[in-house]
Amino acid sequence: MRTTLRQLDWRRWRLVITGCAIIGTIVFSAILAPLVAPYSPYDLNVVTMLQGPSATHWLGTDELGRDTLSRTIYAARISMEVAFIAAGLGLFFGTLIGGIAAYFGGWVDLVLMRFMELLFSFPAILLAVVLMASLGTSIFNAMIAIGIVFIPGFSRLARAATEVVLREQYVEAARAIGMNHARILLREILPNILAPLLVEAAIAFSYAILLESALSFLGLGAQPPEPSWGNMLNTGRGFMSQAPWLSIVPGMAIFLCVLGFNFIGDGLRDVLDPHMKD
Amino acid sequence: MMNLITTRLAAFALTLFGASLILFFTIQILPGSAARSALGVDATPQAIARFEAQRGLDRPLVVQYVEWVSKTARGDFGISFQNSVPVGPELLKRVPVTLELAVLAFLLANLIAIPCGIAAAARHQKAADKAIGLFATLLGAVPNFWLATLLVMIFTLKLRWLPPGGYTPFTANPLMNLKQMVMPVLSLGLVSSALLTRIMRSSMIEVLSSDYIRTASAKGARESIVLRRHAIRNSLIPYLNVAAVEFGFLFGSVVVIEDIFLLPGIGSLVLVGIINRDYPVLLAAALTITLAVLIINLVVDVVVGLLDPRLVKGGRL
Repeated sequence: MRTTLRQLDWRRWRLVITGCAIIGTIVFSAILAPLVAPYSPYDLNVVTMLQGPSATHWLGTDELGRDTLSRTIYAARISMEVAFIAAGLGLFFGTLIGGIAAYFGGWVDLVLMRFMELLFSFPAILLAVVLMASLGTSIFNAMIAIGIVFIPGFSRLARAATEVVLREQYVEAARAIGMNHARILLREILPNILAPLLVEAAIAFSYAILLESALSFLGLGAQPPEPSWGNMLNTGRGFMSQAPWLSIVPGMAIFLCVLGFNFIGDGLRDVLDPHMKD
Repeated sequence: MMNLITTRLAAFALTLFGASLILFFTIQILPGSAARSALGVDATPQAIARFEAQRGLDRPLVVQYVEWVSKTARGDFGISFQNSVPVGPELLKRVPVTLELAVLAFLLANLIAIPCGIAAAARHQKAADKAIGLFATLLGAVPNFWLATLLVMIFTLKLRWLPPGGYTPFTANPLMNLKQMVMPVLSLGLVSSALLTRIMRSSMIEVLSSDYIRTASAKGARESIVLRRHAIRNSLIPYLNVAAVEFGFLFGSVVVIEDIFLLPGIGSLVLVGIINRDYPVLLAAALTITLAVLIINLVVDVVVGLLDPRLVKGGRL
C-alpha cells in the first residue's frame, strides 16, 4: 500500500484529491450530523436569536435562535441526497436512452434523440422550476425534477460513446456468437462507456447542488423548518444588515461543495483524457 | 448557406412546436385547482364549474392545446386567471426588462471571457494563465443568487452606492436604470464569464498549436497579427457554440435574479404564474424564455456556418 501511494503521481491527481477532500469532509459531516452538529437544527431559542458568531455558536444564530452551524451541517444532508439521487437518475436514464438509441439506430435513435434534443432546448433552471411546480414542492420532487433536467446531457454523451464502442471487434464478436441485445449492452458496451459518463456525473453533482439550492431559494425545494442551504440563504436575505452571517454561511457551503465536485470532474477528465487538459 | 438557413429554420419550428407541447402538458398537471386559486378556498362547486367552463378548462386537453397554440401564433396569449387581464400586453411590458438584463449580462460575460481566454492561451502555462484559470474556477463555483446577495450587502447596505432593486425604464431615467441594473447584470454576467473564459482559453490553445499557426509564425508574422488574423477567428467557432448554451442558462437564471432584485421581467412572471396557478401567464412566460433561447441557438448556428463554411459542406451543421 505504501509503495502504491508513493508511486501515485500527485501532481496528476491533485485536483481529484483536493476535490475528494472537500466533498469527503462535507459528506462525512452530513452523515455524522447528529454527532458533529453542536445543537439540533430545529431547536428554537428566542433568547439567542440573531446572535453573531461566538464561542457558544461558532457561526451565530438565526431569527429563531437556531444554531447556524448545526443547520448548515444538517442542510448538507439534503443537498448531498439531492445531488446523488438526481445525478444518479440522470446517469441511469440518460445512459439507458443514449445506449439504446445508438445500439438500435434508425427510427429508435431518431425518436429518442429528438426528444432529448427537445428537453435540452429548455434552460435547465426553467425546466426544473416548471417541473417542480407540476410535481409539487418537496425535496423528493426536487430530486426527480433535477434528475429529468440531466437526462438529455447524459443521453447525448452515452450515445456518442456507444457509437464509438459499437465499432469495436469485441462487440462484433459478441453479436456473432449470438449474445442477446441486453447482454451486449450491459456486459460489453456499458463498462466501456462509463469513464466519460462518470466525469460528467461529477459535473452533474455540482449542477444538482446549484439547482437544488436555487429551487429551495425560490421556495420550491426543501420547505422550512427543514434546513437546506437554499432556503437558509433565502431567509438570510431578510436579515442582511443585522445578521450577514445568515447569508454568508450557507452560500459559502454551496460554493465549497460546487468547487469540490468541479475539482473532481476536471481532475478526472485530465487524468482519463489528457488531451482535454487544456 | 441558404440550405443551412432553411434546415435550421425547419428544426427551429419543430423544436418550438415540441417545446410548446411539453410546456403545455407539464403545466396542465400543476397540483391544485386553478379555479380554486383564482376564486379562493371558499368558492362553491358551482362557481368553480362556471369558472372552468368560461375558460375552457373542462374541455379535453388536446382541444385546449390546439386552441392555445392557434391563439398564441396570432399573438393572443389569453386572459390571466388571477386578474382577468390579457396576458399579451403584460408580457410585452416585461420583455424589455428581461432582454436588457440578459443582453447586458451576456455582453459583460463575453467582454470578460474573450480577452481573458485569449490572454491565458497566449501565456499558456505561465503565471497569467494560471491566475486566470484559478479565477475562472473559483468564480464558476459561485451560485449567482449568492453573488447577488453579497453584492447587495456590499454595494447597498455597506457602501450605499446602489439601490437594492426595482426597475426604472431607460427612457424615463437612464442613470437610475443603469444603477438598478448593475448588480443583477454583475450577478449573472460574472458567473457566466467563468465557463466562457475556460472555453475561450482551451479553444485558443488548440488553434495556437495547429500547423497553420506555426507556419504563419515561422514566416515571421508578428504575434499580434497571428492572433488577430488567424487564431481568434477560428477559436471563436467552438466558443460560440458554448456561448449559445450559456446564454440559455443565463436566460433561465433570470427567474432567480429578477426575484432577488424585484425586476418586473418575464422570469418573475414565471414565478407569479406558478404561485397563482395562472396557466396562461405561466405558459406565456415560459414559452417566451424558451423562444429567446431557441432564437439565439438559431443565430449562432448560422453565424458559425458563415465563419466556417466547411462545417456546412461537411454536414456538421
